[in-house]
Amino acid sequence: MGGWLLQRALQAVATFAVAIALLFVLMRAAPGDPLFRLSADRPISQKEMEVLRARYGLDQPVGRQLVAFVGGLARGDLGVSIEYGRPVTTLLAERLPATILLGGSVLLLNFTVGLWLGVRQAVRRGGREDRWLTTLSLTGYAMPSFWLGLVLAWLVGVEWRLLPAAGMQDPLLSSDAGLLVQAGDVLRHLVLPVLTLSVVSIAATMRYQRAAMLEVLRLPYVVTARAKGLPERVVTWQHAWRNALFPVITLFGLWLPILVTGSVFVEAVFAWPGLGSLAAGAVGSRDYPLLMGASLLVAALVVAGGFLTDVAYGLLDPRVRIG
Amino acid sequence: MSAVTKWRSRLTIAAVLAAWISVQAGAQSERGTSIVILTGHQATIPVPTLMEGAANSVGNLDVADQLFIRLAELGPKLLTAGDRDFVPALARSWTRRDSTTLVFELDPRARWHDGARVTARDVVFTFKRAKNPDLAPRLSDLLRQITSVTAEGDSLVVFHFAQPYAEQFYDATYHVAPIPAHLLDSIPPDSVNRSSFATSPVGSGPYRWVRSVPGQFVELAAVPDFFLGKAKIERVILRTAVEPSARLNLLLSGQADAMDIIPPPSVGRVASDTTLRLISVPSSTMGFLLFNQRDPRNRARPHSILADNRVRRAITLGLDRGQLVQAVFGSQGMVPYGPVSQLLWIRHRSPRAQGPKVAEARRLLAATGWGDSDADGTLDRDGRPLRLVLSLPNTSGIRRQMALLIQEQLRRIGVQIEILQLEFPIYLERRSAGDFDVDFSSVNQDPSPSGLTQSWTCTGGNNVAGYCDRGVDSLMEQAVRGRGDPGERWIEALRQIEEDAAATFLYAPAFMYAVNRRFRGVTISAQSSWVTLRKWSVSPVPVAGRSK
Repeated sequence: MGGWLLQRALQAVATFAVAIALLFVLMRAAPGDPLFRLSADRPISQKEMEVLRARYGLDQPVGRQLVAFVGGLARGDLGVSIEYGRPVTTLLAERLPATILLGGSVLLLNFTVGLWLGVRQAVRRGGREDRWLTTLSLTGYAMPSFWLGLVLAWLVGVEWRLLPAAGMQDPLLSSDAGLLVQAGDVLRHLVLPVLTLSVVSIAATMRYQRAAMLEVLRLPYVVTARAKGLPERVVTWQHAWRNALFPVITLFGLWLPILVTGSVFVEAVFAWPGLGSLAAGAVGSRDYPLLMGASLLVAALVVAGGFLTDVAYGLLDPRVRIG
Repeated sequence: MSAVTKWRSRLTIAAVLAAWISVQAGAQSERGTSIVILTGHQATIPVPTLMEGAANSVGNLDVADQLFIRLAELGPKLLTAGDRDFVPALARSWTRRDSTTLVFELDPRARWHDGARVTARDVVFTFKRAKNPDLAPRLSDLLRQITSVTAEGDSLVVFHFAQPYAEQFYDATYHVAPIPAHLLDSIPPDSVNRSSFATSPVGSGPYRWVRSVPGQFVELAAVPDFFLGKAKIERVILRTAVEPSARLNLLLSGQADAMDIIPPPSVGRVASDTTLRLISVPSSTMGFLLFNQRDPRNRARPHSILADNRVRRAITLGLDRGQLVQAVFGSQGMVPYGPVSQLLWIRHRSPRAQGPKVAEARRLLAATGWGDSDADGTLDRDGRPLRLVLSLPNTSGIRRQMALLIQEQLRRIGVQIEILQLEFPIYLERRSAGDFDVDFSSVNQDPSPSGLTQSWTCTGGNNVAGYCDRGVDSLMEQAVRGRGDPGERWIEALRQIEEDAAATFLYAPAFMYAVNRRFRGVTISAQSSWVTLRKWSVSPVPVAGRSK
């Protein structure tokens, strides 16, 4: 197991390194210069352009820029954002908590409520509850999250004023408000974006879980468990569910990078100060250092998602324990 | 009690508790004498001399206007020539020693937010940084006519200029506000933007820095002993929401008090909220169709269609610009005469823009050999159709909408327009390289008309279309460098640009701002959205009502 894990970890590191090099080169090969944006509103003199190019290392050949980037990466320095004029690591660190909170809440809801509903549907296959949940999940799955976000923000935030229409915290909250009240404030702001993202993701998880569970419930060992007189809850959750988890684990691995990339529109609609909107802005402005920083994070999550999925398979399925 | 029932009870209790805490949080929000202003860009380095490159953003400028105060403020007429329209600020008076020397006397009551007195040394230190092209390439270019800034004692600052010209006073006061030498001179000049000063600046303006919550807001507080009088609004929150729809929702849900540049299609929705007051503010924006006079594929050659003045004039005359502006901006836009936004003072002296003359447009095109030989509705000459590509960025809804109307209007005179929407960085790259037929440009202008030389003179740094008229160059040179009132020379230059049909000048809009009615004495300056905030006050009685 140890050897297999080490081999898998080395593969993950190699994948990550290739991804970095590809991202770096492709980004610079794409049309659009990050400094031309500055000339949108006002003329920029040749001298000013030269000073700015030198400041961001853009006057160097791409190969040298890559070497400098990798050197910086080894020191934990991702450079300075062209758009914000601040270190990329600082910007990412500032936005990461909001992303983790939003993405983590969505994942939590997704893999609790989604799994539970999927299992219930499978157990009650063909019944009224199954049909209703199928209709609801398909509707949710078909709904574009940005549209749902706009509707929720308008109805719940503006028309009914039940919850904040946007933002992550109330800037006017009394400075002597306790921690609990501050947490409550964040919670109020969290509801609509989480709801928007969860509707789509829960629907997908439900569908996967239902299908996987139906497969498993047909297997002879489940029939044997029932024949032994085990309670239906034990058969379902302790015997069948464990083996119905594999497709969902794969889904989890795929969802992990979506923590950052999947919430771009929702972050924009709800002015949520996360990484998604930061990265989207960096694409539009060709802010190479920030774009690289955000891409690294996504690449790390993709690799980590694959790695964790493999490890989870190894832990749950004895057939995967090789090496 | 079964395990399932236990879990259900726990979940219900947790949900009720969370709801109660959330309601408590909502109840503890303190509006009082605070204002929440919405912005699309959060301030990152709101410090004069550090706002270079991308940091020269609206977000930084809005905050810097509250933290730092200039030597003198530009008045409501925005007249940048001479000193008639300037009012004392950090400097309580000024005198002219000769045609190239200005002396400012600082207000002795002025203090930095840490209590230290503002002295002439601070002004000298600031201009030394601002004139260093390695530190501040943009500013140093703007201040190139200032040859030296020296101190005479603690109160007098002496500016020397390279030559006499009408905007000496504007150059000395508008571009940069003083920063504190006593806090910055010990920091290496190229490290200031990484210092703690950059993230929590100390200024001399009506508001002091409190905190910045990344991606969310910046908080400022009124300086109690501000030498020009304490601001009546105690607390200013500049709240960030990049997406206009999110800003609009925050405004209409009562989570914010003020918003700039309401998108034209949303003005009606905002107007229906009785708690909000709509204010029209002249903007620095100006949009135009820029005709490339050089061949995009070979800049050494003239453009095969647009090098001819008559074709360019025909396109301008074939457009009903008033109708285009009305369709997109409603009553908030005007057709400019020449490349002049509503911000520039010279627009008050310029003639009205010409209306459409479709028959004249057709006649001009016929005179240049363009005719519809195959009767397909598009003019042609030597077997080539009169087809032009109109480039614009896909991020601009206004330009997208207007481009469709232009396409339709020009189709009626036989000119075929192909609309090419490009991603913003690619659009700019192609524009800078002169790779376009017709560019749908939009610029934001400084209050000074001297910036026009960059785009409309033969050697202007931003002249991407190859437009060159020595007469215009000469007029602009006289307007910028001459003494006395340069107004007539500017108007003459505009007249020549219009006659050359270097571009079709389409729109110079005013933007709508929304401010909650509980604020009194609200004025908004065209040069900077919230620079007059310290003069506003708050009504003690909350304004009731919402939508009509």
